[in-house]
Amino acid sequence: MNQPMLWGVGTSDYGLQPERRVESLAWTAVAEAVRDAGITPGQIDAIVVGSVFGPPGVATRVQRGLGLPGVPMWTVENACASGTSAYHEAVEAVRLGRFGCVLVLGVDQMSTLFSGAIVPEATDPEGAASLPLPGLYALQAQRYVQEFGVTPEQLAAVAVKNKRNGLDNPRAQLRKKAPTVEEVLASRMIADPLTFLQCCPTSDGAGALIVGPERGNPDDLRIEASAMVSGALWDHRTDDVWGYASVVRAAEQAYAQAGRTPGEIDVLEVHDAFTIGEILTLEALGLAPRGKGAELAPSGHTARDGAQPVNPSGGLLSRGHPLGGTGTAQIAEIAWQLRGRAEARQVARHRVGLVETMGGGAAGMDGNACVVTILSVL
Amino acid sequence: MSTELGVGRPTKRRPGAAVGGLPVADPRPLLDGDAVLGVRCTACRYPVAQDGVPWCPACYGPVEPARFATTGAAWSSTVVAIPVGERRPPFGLAYLDLDDGPRVLVHLAEPAVLPIGTRLRITGTDLGDLVAATIDDEVTP
Ligand SMILES: [Zn+2]
Repeated sequence: MNQPMLWGVGTSDYGLQPERRVESLAWTAVAEAVRDAGITPGQIDAIVVGSVFGPPGVATRVQRGLGLPGVPMWTVENACASGTSAYHEAVEAVRLGRFGCVLVLGVDQMSTLFSGAIVPEATDPEGAASLPLPGLYALQAQRYVQEFGVTPEQLAAVAVKNKRNGLDNPRAQLRKKAPTVEEVLASRMIADPLTFLQCCPTSDGAGALIVGPERGNPDDLRIEASAMVSGALWDHRTDDVWGYASVVRAAEQAYAQAGRTPGEIDVLEVHDAFTIGEILTLEALGLAPRGKGAELAPSGHTARDGAQPVNPSGGLLSRGHPLGGTGTAQIAEIAWQLRGRAEARQVARHRVGLVETMGGGAAGMDGNACVVTILSVL
Repeated sequence: MSTELGVGRPTKRRPGAAVGGLPVADPRPLLDGDAVLGVRCTACRYPVAQDGVPWCPACYGPVEPARFATTGAAWSSTVVAIPVGERRPPFGLAYLDLDDGPRVLVHLAEPAVLPIGTRLRITGTDLGDLVAATIDDEVTP
């Protein structure tokens, strides 16, 4: 078995970029990752691409500019977790010795597909009934709010924190101004209780990662754990809100693999597509007991200068959410943080980082897939 | 019929005929008079508001067709304030745990955020969606 390492990372800018070609977003990210890893393109043994909306064949279209003759290649679609699922496959392939150096690419261009929120999938029982993704998260939020007495201000605090963090992220989509709690709550309602500023913008972007075995480079990051789980039945006989159990499954595997406890994590990037998502994810990751996750942002625990900073990049709420391009951007941010090169976003303690991405939307399932990975400096 | 989405701009996603895409087989649960149709596991009684599943997704036991009650308790609810497909805001949605039945997504006759456990009854369909109204004379303990 090899110890998988993260050799290099790169991303495009994130934002509405309908004038750019999908390949061009990808090439920007790949070129930066290859330079960052200090490799030549010819060293790449395999390519794994994570993308939801492609277009079909996007991996090959990207390859046109890379000139990698006939290396094994495949494309993974796991909803919002597509990019991290692609990364997970690369990590496992390196661990098992199947490949020596794998290029991971997460990419999606949403602005040329949808003019606003994602159109629900008509083949899905709940998509056909006009349940939009913010509606699904709103149902989750209403249940949680009523069950645990969470206030609108506690939800809004997540958006305030992440959008403030995002001001220092030059690659984020939203970086004009950080709203106050009052402004978050006063922004227009999308699906009660989620207001506009509690929903991530759809976006265009790509992130690339180079994964390989140990090579004695002090800049490389140790991949202590990577766990990927698919969705399971969202069993209405349990007390779990939608999505929670899938994150728990991935988190338990990842902590066990790394031999770590939640308290040992210095910095996290988690799936805050909606404010409630960050709160429930942090409970599922063990940073707070059930019903107490809503206190983490208002208390400052998850602030950039807090005990366990969460989404120092600004998260999806600032960066935007090009589905396949999200997970790889989360991992890139943790890499910059762990290496101490996150500039204005740099957190104080940065030895161990965690990334979580959860994708969902298939009716009756507790998620489509979830990936949790833990990385550390050598 | 709305033509603002999908027309001349087909996407990888199937938006459905309601919003300008091609028709797809309707995946939504069916209401048949006084019952929601689905299947139930003959081993563990797990209820599913879908047909055609090969076995019980909870225990792998065999399933048989079932008729579920139209009454139940709201697990959660929301009011959506954006247009979605043919729906114009505001419209209310709830996850309804049918009595001894599955959890189904319903549209609310009156858009509102309801207390957890509010008693609802499915009263019909609208555009193929299940529609539920609060049951006034029942009180949740
Ligand atoms: Zn069963």
